[in-house]
Amino acid sequence: MLTFDTIAQVLWTSFATSSYLVLFAVAFALVLKVNQIFNFAQAAVMTVAFYAAHAVVSMAKLPGIAGFVAALGSAALAAACLEIFGFRSLRRRRASQMFVFIFTLIVSELVAYMAMLIFGTWPTTIFPSLFWPVSLVGTIAVSAWDLPAIGGMAGSLALLFLFLRYSQSGRFMVAVADNPDLAELYGIEKNRIYLIAMVIAGLLIGVGMFLYGSRAQVQATTSIELMLFAIAATIIGGIGNVWGAAITAVVLGVVQNGSVLFIPSEWQGFLLYVFLFLAIVFFPKGVKLPERRRGLARKVASVDLDPTVPGAGGKAAAAGEG
Amino acid sequence: MTQASSFTRRMALLAGTAAVTLAGTAAATAQETLRFGMAMPLSGGQATYGQDQVKAAEWAVAEINKAGGVNGKKLEMIVLDTRADPQAGIQAANRLVSVEKVPAFVSAWSAVVKAIAPVTNDSKVVQLSVGANSADIAKLGDYTYTTFPLADIDITAVAKYAATQMGKKKAAIIYINNETGTVAAQIYRDVFGKAGGQVVAYEAYDPKASDWTGPLLKIRASQPDVIHIQGLVADTPQVIAQMRQLGLNQPVSSYSAVYNPKLIEQLGKAAEGVIATSLAPGVTDSPAVAAYVERWKKEAGREPNGLPYTQYLYDAPYIVAAVYKSLDDKKIAPTGENFRKEMLAIKSFDLPLTGKLTINDDHTVNKPVFLMEVKDGKWVQKAVVN
Repeated sequence: MLTFDTIAQVLWTSFATSSYLVLFAVAFALVLKVNQIFNFAQAAVMTVAFYAAHAVVSMAKLPGIAGFVAALGSAALAAACLEIFGFRSLRRRRASQMFVFIFTLIVSELVAYMAMLIFGTWPTTIFPSLFWPVSLVGTIAVSAWDLPAIGGMAGSLALLFLFLRYSQSGRFMVAVADNPDLAELYGIEKNRIYLIAMVIAGLLIGVGMFLYGSRAQVQATTSIELMLFAIAATIIGGIGNVWGAAITAVVLGVVQNGSVLFIPSEWQGFLLYVFLFLAIVFFPKGVKLPERRRGLARKVASVDLDPTVPGAGGKAAAAGEG
Repeated sequence: MTQASSFTRRMALLAGTAAVTLAGTAAATAQETLRFGMAMPLSGGQATYGQDQVKAAEWAVAEINKAGGVNGKKLEMIVLDTRADPQAGIQAANRLVSVEKVPAFVSAWSAVVKAIAPVTNDSKVVQLSVGANSADIAKLGDYTYTTFPLADIDITAVAKYAATQMGKKKAAIIYINNETGTVAAQIYRDVFGKAGGQVVAYEAYDPKASDWTGPLLKIRASQPDVIHIQGLVADTPQVIAQMRQLGLNQPVSSYSAVYNPKLIEQLGKAAEGVIATSLAPGVTDSPAVAAYVERWKKEAGREPNGLPYTQYLYDAPYIVAAVYKSLDDKKIAPTGENFRKEMLAIKSFDLPLTGKLTINDDHTVNKPVFLMEVKDGKWVQKAVVN
């Protein structure tokens, strides 16, 4: 059973299918880090992105690229609306974090019901067919969906990295994430940064949902179910550590899929909850590599600790990953 | 003149009184309705099926009433939403029993039917399960009866057919790890084994799974001759797509939930050879079914989701009407207890879309199983297993 082919196939497919999970986890972790909101309404943005692409491609019969643009545009718009009309208003009224969290839950359910009323409850896809042609690379089956999905995920993360590292807004985001009031004292417009973080999260969700919906059937409630994975990856990866969430999403996807080779398959879903339970009890700040092996992690994390960020440098460095 | 005037006044008074009395009687007759309940998913993930099933039952009630009702009394159906959720199902059942005070109601979805059963047993109100197929439904007490063949009927047929008629020796089973999957998968395993075959892989998957590589690779390694999938309408096409992508080109069998035109649209050529079951006659077997499907196309612009299920739901009000008629003929009060006794006394019902139904003493029903196969992009009848 445990042949090289089997292990290689599991690793490849798990890696490919983790592409959208990574994007959902990064979007969730980014909003949690910058806006400090446990944004369960991400499910609503995911639902909007999917049905926008579905309407454009499956219903209006426009090309896939138009669906991709629709997913991105609608998700960014939905995220912006959520920030401007929802979170900003709640911040102004000094709503507690718990209240904001409840608001996000309500938004996710509200949008799911609206989608159900508009598009019905039958599971749908973006493209009419679920079947993607397959090529054999050696003995490994590589579907025509796999490479664009991995490329889409890698490209999105690279753009995010570059944005956070080299753009002024990206640096401001890090500063606001670290200490919003101090950042404001240094002239950073807090609300604008929150909006940018939400829009970026929306774009990541748009890419992720287009990938997911072009491979799997989606119902109005699917996004809510997908959220659990994003939350698990964020918690295990370390709250506030965006790249940690991305790596955890890949590892969780591969471990969950690969585990079936060693344990009965009905335990597969249970495994996610075991990881989540252990992470919350034993690693409440996330699973971290031992200090001396963290060379790579430090390089990546240096985005978060950039001392050149106006008003954020020293404090951010002292705060570590936050 | 005075006498005449007095007579006229009296006549007018009498006529008025008579008119009022008649009007009152007519109103009383018009208001006298025979009520039953319908607890189905109208929202949530299963509403696609539930809404079409309720629509079918509504059509039947309208037809019954159009034909004069039950001994001149209107049949009235009270519809409540269960969301296919056991807790919501219990709430709906409590309302039907305590507030609406119906003697019988229709429900579906195995988990919901099971959750409701204690309520019906306690209140002595009949629950007619129409569409749920868990084998356990036959063991839920005196007040839960099914009009739909339980899982052991169609799964037994498809497993036996694979082993004996298709000559398959090694079967793999992949099933969703919930009530729908586990019971049916066990039945397939037992029947295929008893028919001389060997189950070489037996894999469950999580209801929230979006990737099935692991279990499918285990199945591929076991080299089966046939693969049986026991999943839901949302995940089964994806499992088949991934199965084909991983080079598993063996014949695939499943059950009635898969029998819908959408599967072919979503899978294209990958759907070829997929076998599903249908527990009701199709359009080519019955003119009534053909007319029924035509009505759907005309009124809804499509075929109903889960056609056979809607056929059973269409027939359910006819069962209720037959029992009500018998009670009314015998002047017996339509309580839940009497409804149950009368239904068992009648035992056999001739129904418009699913044919003859006989309720067995062990709370099961027998029906032929129609095996359907995707051939050249269409569902065609492969065999009928009695």
